[in-house]
Amino acid sequence: MISLATAAPTVGAAFVASSVEAVEAFTIVLAVSVVRGIRPAALGAGAALVILALVVAILGPLLAAVPVRGLQLVIGLLLLVFGLGWLRKAVLRAGGALSLHDEAATFEKQTRALRDEAHARGRAADWLAGMVAFKAVLLEGTEVVFIVLAIGARPGLLLPAAVGAAGACVLVLALGLALRAPLARIPENSMKFVVGALLTGFGVFWCCEGLGAPWPGGDLAILPLVGFYLAAGLVLAASVRAVRARTA
Amino acid sequence: MAVFKALAAEIFKMFAADLWLTIAAVASVALAAAALRAGLVQAAALPFFLAAAIVVALAIGVVRGARP
Repeated sequence: MISLATAAPTVGAAFVASSVEAVEAFTIVLAVSVVRGIRPAALGAGAALVILALVVAILGPLLAAVPVRGLQLVIGLLLLVFGLGWLRKAVLRAGGALSLHDEAATFEKQTRALRDEAHARGRAADWLAGMVAFKAVLLEGTEVVFIVLAIGARPGLLLPAAVGAAGACVLVLALGLALRAPLARIPENSMKFVVGALLTGFGVFWCCEGLGAPWPGGDLAILPLVGFYLAAGLVLAASVRAVRARTA
Repeated sequence: MAVFKALAAEIFKMFAADLWLTIAAVASVALAAAALRAGLVQAAALPFFLAAAIVVALAIGVVRGARP
């Protein structure tokens, strides 16, 4: 039986990380549906979702056959590298050194590109629009699949991770369908900040477990560890902002 | 074919968007493992050393990224 202390961070991390990726994929799928209709958008996105679900269904149980210690170290290292990349980018964006991701601008750009293609290609534009939706969901979903497989790699955690990711996708889809607009108001960088800290925390925790140096407090140590990286990220973002203000 | 190329690029970007940061993280874990095996660090202290090393790697990565 999995404890709540173990399952809650897993569900939470999968949910928040998947929300960010789902928002980005939804923007492009929405652009496709606005320009070419719901059919190519739904077919393209649906085909990609089936492939992603198959990857999780096939690889998830396979990971259970790998020795736990080695798996923890490898997955921990991958999570650490992936999470640090997200955290660094979020810190730089929060500090003003990188521009923020703009879903409304992405939507405009994608819509214009699809309209131009529709003029040039006529009926073949539906096929092309479907491929655009397929590619967007497949590429953004690849990160979701990695996160689900990585944080769900311990026995019994694949289902909570998958539930968190699926919940995020359903919520983003429901919000998007209700608004019929790109979800530009979602604080994407703040979410990436939290996800970066979560994945880095998970990564460090698992690397230590894999090396045979477990954290005091067991699974509960993940929470203060995530808080530690969140605080470090906030301090770094404030420092970047202060330095930029001084040199401006 | 274009989809596969984009997928490969996406997977590369996931783990090596900033190659320096990736190398620093992997090196930190490798050094921690070596120190533990050599008996230089006790198992109970290793998590704290690794957590600190990762913050240092992040800070250097941020400083490098913030440079104009």
